[in-house]
Amino acid sequence: MINLIIGFVAIAATCSIYFLAKLLHQKLKLTFTVPVVTSTFIVIILLLIFKIPYETFMIGGQWIKELQGPAVVALAYPLYKQRDVLKKHLTPILLGSCVGVAVGISAGILLAKAAGFEDEIILSLTTKSVTMPVAVAIVETLGGVTSLAAVFVLVAGFGGVFFSSMVYKLFRINDDIAKSVGLGSGSHAIGIAKALESSLREGSISTIAMIVCAVTVSIIAPWLVQLLLY
Amino acid sequence: MCIILWNIFKIILHIIFLYSIYRIGDWIQNAFDLIIPGSVIGMIILFVLLSTDLIKVVWIEEGSKFVVNNLVLFFIPATVGLINYLDFFAGRGFLLVLIVLFCTVLVIASSGATSQWIMYRKEKQHD
Repeated sequence: MINLIIGFVAIAATCSIYFLAKLLHQKLKLTFTVPVVTSTFIVIILLLIFKIPYETFMIGGQWIKELQGPAVVALAYPLYKQRDVLKKHLTPILLGSCVGVAVGISAGILLAKAAGFEDEIILSLTTKSVTMPVAVAIVETLGGVTSLAAVFVLVAGFGGVFFSSMVYKLFRINDDIAKSVGLGSGSHAIGIAKALESSLREGSISTIAMIVCAVTVSIIAPWLVQLLLY
Repeated sequence: MCIILWNIFKIILHIIFLYSIYRIGDWIQNAFDLIIPGSVIGMIILFVLLSTDLIKVVWIEEGSKFVVNNLVLFFIPATVGLINYLDFFAGRGFLLVLIVLFCTVLVIASSGATSQWIMYRKEKQHD
């Protein structure tokens, strides 16, 4: 009974905090006020203040987490909606995303290995450029730490958006489609938001790149891990 | 009022539909011992079924829109898990943040450069 109440409170609180955070972001529209950051921050602060362990929060949290699966499945919908753009720019999007994925995973594994981190942590690093639902699912399958993976995904998202203009200048990448592929491949949904600021077309190309990357990573990450880590 | 209730009902129904596809994907992953997560398999299945018109887009549209627009809500439990790693990131873990940033720059540069190179070659062929 007590668990039922705790669970209910945790779910209700998380949802209300999230929707308030979303309202706040619609007003402010700053990169650092995206709902995932503000709501995570508020929930963590609340748990720390009231000295609630993460495990207690998860009595309710696990029910929200259960919806991660259908959330990934739902990504087929935007991909389907953008299928004409996908067909038109199939090769640049596909190959660009695949190269990015291979480079990103390999560099991550090798650097973290060189720095002497444990396997479990290195595994959590492999999915950093993938959208969070897929990243968490892949890391779970690989046997890494999902919470770390979630944090790395956020770091890659913000870092990529922050550095993208500099990177594009440095490597003389000036094509709009190429830029959108880069943002979607490196910085998933946060990159898409940035690409959307330029135009709807660039936003949809980023969306496709993000989903293509998600599928590619889930296929090649286990292979690269086998090859480079063990 | 009635319309709002009907919309909520539709969203819930669509999410249940998405959930069943996820379960099928999960089942396939286990049955064939695949490394691809069941949810990604489910996504591919749904995309194929939509493209071949076996599933009408209206069967999943409202629910998918709602889920995709509020995607991060379902991942707050995962991100809040950071609470157990606060000390880690204050110490040695900070190095990982730098590694992630560096790799992200590499990803953006390599994927952007690759697709630009392909587009450039395509244009040349057309000329």
